[in-house]
Amino acid sequence: MRRILQISLAVLFLTQASFAATTITWWQFWTDPGIKPVIKAMVDEFEKANPDIKVELTDLTWSNGHEKIVIAYSSGTAPDVIELGSDWIAQFAANGHLADLSESVATDSGEYHGWSLATYKDRLYARPWFLGTRVLFANRDLLKRAGYENDFMPYKLSDLKVAARKVHLLGKDIYGWGSNAPEKHRLYKKFLPFMWSEGGQIFSDDGRMCVLPSVHTVSALTIYKELHDSSGYVANQRGIEDAFLDGKVGFIISGDWLLKRIELEKRKINLATALIPGPKFPGKSFLGGEFLAVSESCEHKDEAMRFVAFITSPENQVRFCQANRSATPSSKTAQQDPYFSSTEPLKIFNKQILSVKHPPVDPDWVVIEDIIEKAVEDALFGSGLIAEPLRQAQMKIEHLKNK
Amino acid sequence: MVRPRRFAWLKYTALIAGLTIMVFPLLWMFRVALMDAGAGISLANIASSQFTLDNFADLFTQNNIGQYLFNSIAVGLAVTVGNILFCFMVAYALARYRFLTNRLVFISVVVVLMIPAHIIIIPLYVLTLKAGIYDTYWALILPWLVNPIGIFLVKQYLESVPPSMEEAARMDGAGEFRILFTIVMPLCKPALAVLSIQVFFTNWNSFLFPYILTQSDNVRTLPVALALFQGHQAIDWQHLMAGSAIAVLPVLILFAIVQKQIVSGITAGAIKQ
Amino acid sequence: MRSSKATAFVLALPWIVTFGIFWLFPLLYSFAIGFTDYQLLARDYHWVGLANYVNLFSDPAFLAAIKNTFIFVGGTIPFTTVIALAMALLLNRSFKGRGLFRATYFLPSITSMVVIALIFTNLYSRGGYVACLAQLIGFTPPEYGFLYDRGTALYSIMAMDVWMSVGYYMLIFLAGLKAIPDELYEAAEISGAGRFRQFFSITLPLLRPVMLFILVINSIKSFQVFVEIFVMTKGKFDTATMVYFIYDSGLTTHFSFGYASAAAYVLFVIIGLFSILQFFLLRRRQPLW
Repeated sequence: MRRILQISLAVLFLTQASFAATTITWWQFWTDPGIKPVIKAMVDEFEKANPDIKVELTDLTWSNGHEKIVIAYSSGTAPDVIELGSDWIAQFAANGHLADLSESVATDSGEYHGWSLATYKDRLYARPWFLGTRVLFANRDLLKRAGYENDFMPYKLSDLKVAARKVHLLGKDIYGWGSNAPEKHRLYKKFLPFMWSEGGQIFSDDGRMCVLPSVHTVSALTIYKELHDSSGYVANQRGIEDAFLDGKVGFIISGDWLLKRIELEKRKINLATALIPGPKFPGKSFLGGEFLAVSESCEHKDEAMRFVAFITSPENQVRFCQANRSATPSSKTAQQDPYFSSTEPLKIFNKQILSVKHPPVDPDWVVIEDIIEKAVEDALFGSGLIAEPLRQAQMKIEHLKNK
Repeated sequence: MVRPRRFAWLKYTALIAGLTIMVFPLLWMFRVALMDAGAGISLANIASSQFTLDNFADLFTQNNIGQYLFNSIAVGLAVTVGNILFCFMVAYALARYRFLTNRLVFISVVVVLMIPAHIIIIPLYVLTLKAGIYDTYWALILPWLVNPIGIFLVKQYLESVPPSMEEAARMDGAGEFRILFTIVMPLCKPALAVLSIQVFFTNWNSFLFPYILTQSDNVRTLPVALALFQGHQAIDWQHLMAGSAIAVLPVLILFAIVQKQIVSGITAGAIKQ
Repeated sequence: MRSSKATAFVLALPWIVTFGIFWLFPLLYSFAIGFTDYQLLARDYHWVGLANYVNLFSDPAFLAAIKNTFIFVGGTIPFTTVIALAMALLLNRSFKGRGLFRATYFLPSITSMVVIALIFTNLYSRGGYVACLAQLIGFTPPEYGFLYDRGTALYSIMAMDVWMSVGYYMLIFLAGLKAIPDELYEAAEISGAGRFRQFFSITLPLLRPVMLFILVINSIKSFQVFVEIFVMTKGKFDTATMVYFIYDSGLTTHFSFGYASAAAYVLFVIIGLFSILQFFLLRRRQPLW
């Protein structure tokens, strides 16, 4: 009898607890069958450890995610916790849609890379989840056919240019270099590593002046164009990756998603990966990442923060990254996990992540990005001097900044 | 009318050359749609590859195309039915009643006929957002339930129908709406047939508004899905063309059946300006 | 009579409501926000006077969009009109198989623009069908495909557009030709006028109203070109048109509603002026040709 009473009391307590639970809504992008279960499992564990909190999960897709988030913030229907690509953070933070996390993350800031991507006007608006960078991918078979030794990898951009050209000359339908067509949000990510590696910058160190047409950037764009002209396979990102996986292209720059594709599609390619070349080897690659932010409108910020801290904890990062084949977690502890040095490409990614740069965290970045892409497009596909499009871009950026 | 036939061969050559140019791209689409998914799109493969229906099957099992097809049909039918009813009502009012406010209504119809619809994409987007119908069927249906060309078409037809039958019914004491729907509407069948075909086709093919006013798969229509397949998804030409064929086939079949109405719909609008 | 006024009002109500909500309001609304810095994400917005218009005309992207749109309109309409008229003349007299020709010529006009754009993207691609044809007749096709080249992208899209729309205008010309009484030609024949003479002094002048109609609707349509650009080039390689610009600035990344609305009104005015111009040119009593 006492036992029954105990149980019924316990049941009563449990049901009451679940009625009193705080609900947190989370929007995230990971839906494919390999990863969704991991996301679900992490949420379940969090709910079990925090019986007073319930998490409601909504999936976004890459094709409409950004628009959906914009609409949600503009109409006041945003979720409590949201996954944001690093290049979106400034836009939302500047318009006051994201909660300021500066105080709450102060304690464990040493544990993570990538804070600067989420820092806008000295305040922190999101917590790094996992990072992304780009490395050089090569087709070893093609390199061998072009007469290169088994361990050859270019250290300088000029080496890359020569090697790509040699591969390009192997035959019809073989190309040296996968060159991005002007595709929004893609092209600039390919060019900026060249620019940074050569020592070029968009803004001066104090951030006041646009210094785009510097000698460094001109020389980077010159090499980029030479690669494109002398050995380019020109298509959008998807197209050049397809061609690379079909064994038609010698070199491309790509991210860890390509490793995942090779694995899942069981592609047979004699793959080699290498750090981005540059005068001071290794060159500077592009840094981006996925972040978790809490909305300013969230009514349970403490609970939301707890949830964000849980999802981005070192153990959960390892789990997620393994499932998603992401090469670069943001947590330094997670990075020490043997998984991230289990293959050659993963090692390269984790070496490259130490030599990276990212675009300025600026609400106008999408506009600046467009301007830079236009300049690169003009240089690649137009005729005329390389420096001219850069100078025009500089004028446009200064005009924008003066507004 | 006897005319010299010296140039007959020239005429036929031109006609057949034209025919080839006009059908070739559509044949190309069907051919690629029926190709093996693995093969590249080279001229040699086009000629030699085997025919298969696998691409179509894949679209239904893997790419959710059944849903898009359903959305296209549902939205198309709703808009068509709305136009039959509403264009008829408005056209009747304009054809049979003449006074000042009605002139104003007529002028508004003509004005909208001349307005480039694409300039209202921004306000319409804001409107659907604020009204809470963004990303629902309503956003794809409500703005298009009655259209100026349809009103014009039916009005012109009505003006050629003498009002004697309506007046006789009115004498017998029948109510206005009964007269309208049981006597006049059946008389307008030919015009309404033309109207419904035109509206359905336009709606079936429309892209910009369905694209900007929706974002989720369960309301997006076929053309929107096709345009976004390219680029966002790992999809090859064979499947893309199979999806295109699915979008085109109903139009081709319908066209074969009701060609006359389509032609008269287009020319009626044009000639009686 | 009062009740009949009420009836008329009720009957016209669907249009009155649609017109008010989906046409009049949007037109006024976008005119108003064209003078603000309204962005979807911003918490508030301000009146900026004519700043959007001033900025538009110093925005190279917008100026390029105007230029591309005019190239598109100016480059397609003459071809479409002349080819459509030629087709209509060929099909004007009854002969065996006429229905088949007419139907096939018309077929592309009722096919979805998205589908046609996809097919031509494939045909225009690197090593694709059109490239092979070009090589066959001794042209060197653009290295990365017709749509990946600044010199050819826009023109390739324009050619596709002519291909697609000639059938539609052919039908309208056919209807116009049908309305010309046979007696006129017979009389001309008797007075010894040749075929060309007949064409220039009977057919063309009598087709003028049809011609006006075709030019006006074709230019209203062509000024709004968007779908083919969206599907085929995403506005790259010098193909961005005005509606593409409106879409790109208003409904992607920044959602700058104010700026995009101002751009839409510029387009509105251009189309309006163009239509009026055509109207006055073709309305004149004296034939222009």
